[in-house]
Amino acid sequence: MIRDLKRVRNIGISAHIDSGKTTLTERILFYTARIHKINEVRGKDGVGATMDSMELERERGITIASAATYCEWDKHNINIIDTPGHVDFTVEVERSLRVLDGVILVLCSVSGVQSQSITVDQQMKRYQVPCIAFVNKCDRSGANPAKVCAQLRDKLGHNSVLMQLPIGLEDRHEGIIDLVTMKAMYFEGENGERPVVKDIPDPMKDEAKAAREKMIDAVSLFSEALTDAILEEKEITTDLVMEAVRTGTISRQMTPVFLGSAYKNKAVQPLLDAVVSYLPSPLDIENQAIDMDNNEEAVILESSFDKPTVALAFKLEDGQYGQLTYIRVYQGCINKGDTLVNSRDGRKFKAGRLIRMHSNQMEDVEAVPAGHIGAMFGIECASGDTFVSPQINYTLLSMHIMEPVISLSIVPKDNKAQINMSKALNRFTKEDPTFKTYVDHETGDTIIQGMGELHLEVYVERMKREYGAEVVTGQPRVAYRETITQKALFNYTHKKQTGGAGQYGRVSGFIEPCDEDFLFVNKVTGGRIPTNYIPACEHGFKACMEKGPKLEFPVTGIKVTLEDGAYHAVDSSDMAFKAAARGGFLEAYAKAKPVIKEPIMKVVIETPNEFQGSCMGLINQRRGIIQGSQEEGVMSVVESQVPLSEMFGFSTILRSATQGKAQFTMEFSAYKQVPQSVAEEIVKKKLEEKSKK
Amino acid sequence: MLKKDLILKSPVSRTIGIENIKDGRFGAVISRAGVGKTSFLVQIALTQLLMNEKVLHVSLVEPIEKINLRYNDGYTNLIDSIGYVDPQKALRLWEDIYPNKVGISYNESTFDTEKIKDYLKSFKKADLAMPSIIIMDGLNFDKDVSGSLEKLDQLSREFSVFIWFSIKSHREEKLCDDGYPIQLETYKDKFDKAVFLNPVEDKIEAVILKDGARTDKAFRLDSATMMAIEE
Repeated sequence: MIRDLKRVRNIGISAHIDSGKTTLTERILFYTARIHKINEVRGKDGVGATMDSMELERERGITIASAATYCEWDKHNINIIDTPGHVDFTVEVERSLRVLDGVILVLCSVSGVQSQSITVDQQMKRYQVPCIAFVNKCDRSGANPAKVCAQLRDKLGHNSVLMQLPIGLEDRHEGIIDLVTMKAMYFEGENGERPVVKDIPDPMKDEAKAAREKMIDAVSLFSEALTDAILEEKEITTDLVMEAVRTGTISRQMTPVFLGSAYKNKAVQPLLDAVVSYLPSPLDIENQAIDMDNNEEAVILESSFDKPTVALAFKLEDGQYGQLTYIRVYQGCINKGDTLVNSRDGRKFKAGRLIRMHSNQMEDVEAVPAGHIGAMFGIECASGDTFVSPQINYTLLSMHIMEPVISLSIVPKDNKAQINMSKALNRFTKEDPTFKTYVDHETGDTIIQGMGELHLEVYVERMKREYGAEVVTGQPRVAYRETITQKALFNYTHKKQTGGAGQYGRVSGFIEPCDEDFLFVNKVTGGRIPTNYIPACEHGFKACMEKGPKLEFPVTGIKVTLEDGAYHAVDSSDMAFKAAARGGFLEAYAKAKPVIKEPIMKVVIETPNEFQGSCMGLINQRRGIIQGSQEEGVMSVVESQVPLSEMFGFSTILRSATQGKAQFTMEFSAYKQVPQSVAEEIVKKKLEEKSKK
Repeated sequence: MLKKDLILKSPVSRTIGIENIKDGRFGAVISRAGVGKTSFLVQIALTQLLMNEKVLHVSLVEPIEKINLRYNDGYTNLIDSIGYVDPQKALRLWEDIYPNKVGISYNESTFDTEKIKDYLKSFKKADLAMPSIIIMDGLNFDKDVSGSLEKLDQLSREFSVFIWFSIKSHREEKLCDDGYPIQLETYKDKFDKAVFLNPVEDKIEAVILKDGARTDKAFRLDSATMMAIEE
């Protein structure tokens, strides 16, 4: 691995579904000589693109897991993480962004900035990841890169600057004009592997000149030298412009826009040049960790090899030789045989086999130095863990993880499936923090929880394919919550003094709605409840939150204020106060007007204009609230908020209502109170279920 | 309580009269560019939202983000006009009424009333309450719109919904003898209500051109907020 970090790039490729990011990755690997044959995503050869290593991904034509790979271009090491495009798998995108220094945002030149691009963009903002944009599919009918560039500006607020002009669009797309060098580029050879630089065709000269002026004007903001050169009418050199673009890009103040067609092998090489020229090296990015031994103070990590090691496990995979842990090293260097500590649980371990991944093929390496991405074998850990040298106790900032909103019961078909299922679940929960599992003690069913129907569906499929665990799934269930809507008092005495060891405890105070999940405030004075029993009271209240008294859904948003109480010198105990707290909670809860809350999803449908009315109708029929609809060329975008419980099977319904021409994305938005009529239905169902048990 | 106060303060209650907003089929707000047609239409829509009615805002000229922004601004102006209001209360009311507004932005060149019809049908199908008014912003009355008006008239009858239009007049054009701008003159029989917004010094004069028996009554509005000025 290259030790000169200036020549290292850790990049991701993020985009909306079907914008062609896997195809683009495939071309990059081909041109950087990592692969010798191009396989298409849904190619006739049945091989599937190299990055889509999971069988299931190949079948669906989508990319589920971020496969990491590296390649070399212009004496630079480029580590690429191919990220999934579907919102249900956003945790994968988020984890990737955490370890990346830069991103290529792939946009379709026809559809432009779509809903998923907006989600990905928000994530990039959260992790402050600089990006360059690639407007793909310029060979498609309706391609309009200038419009996409404008959308980047209008919809995402990027300072987007076109760095190239297309030579022909749609089926006449031949190449590009580089506005920095003012040369035309064509791509010859069977797979476009021979870029040919020529003079700009005469009819395009004026257009190119005007576009270059516009570009220079925009980038001059980031370089005084360039501004001076313009003002003094000196020669504007290529280096001067490139330096300005690099500064603007790394500081996230501009997004250079490149274009081409990965599928038609056009302009992928100039994009690679741009990755090397404009995206940051690990040295350009400041990474922070938290020093657990020093009051959790933030520490800035240095990409130096001699400092103590700090690395992040950002992805786990079950390989044929055991668990494969993808790591990004931020400081120091992991050598084979080094002793490291998992800062989450303090466990020491030895770094065994170190590898560098190329999709699902691996290459052994001796060390993974700071700034690089690699993988380790034989480490027991969870995704998001920090590995450090024994002399320090740092932890990298925890990643933003969302709570699951949907659950599904699964029952193994036979004994063999039972064993494999638990193996699979164990693996998946480690790999994906938004995927959770537990056993429902009442029904004995195993419940899996996740971020959407497709999310769970993919895991059920993976269980079957990768682990041979056939399971029967139940109806998907929505993760309802209970909460209260008004303040209510409690004053409860728990008393059992009829022979044997007695129990006595009295608690008094009130509960009220709040924005936090649970808050406990102790205002007991004068030792009315001795301080050693206060934690027991808190535990007692908190335990009640797990299962609401109303419908047994988890309770959220309650602040408990304990004001007074009483104890008995002999008969009071932790257990007695826990029981008193429980009694107090139940007493107040019933008076506090409890309600049910349900997850509301942000649903964005993209449909041809002729189906806009019917799509809005579908939302209306689902208790949805349409936030707005916008016509954009031949397509319309309908944005809405719909309760998750109404969204089951929506993809099938949408397909049949729009002849399969519309697509939608869905992500969690907020928990909101269920309308009375629906709440009654839920209560009825819950009672029926209970009576069946 | 807050709802009532806001409805009373609305420039629409002061000018057209709250009970009067959807009495008939078509209404028009006319002015030259930049005076505040859309802002006034938004105030009309807001009064309906405050009365727990649904509103469909169709724009042929503005993107959805701009429409939403106009509603935010309109509501803020209305809130500010009644003095101090607990911000939490104001926000809660906004969250309560805002979902009843649906904004749709169409391309003017490809706009077809059938699209609105499809959408309204879905309300019937799902047995939901219909929007009480449609705001139709940006229909170009300099062109022949008789066909579109005919279709919208049918739509209004079929779904019992009142449609408020914005009509752009031009500074250089003289008013017709009956005081109507030329754009409205041709179609005046179709309209039950018409408000003409005329900038006078730094204020806006809202002249009721047509409203049953009431005509040519004028009110003064603040040009920045479109709120009625107490005389």
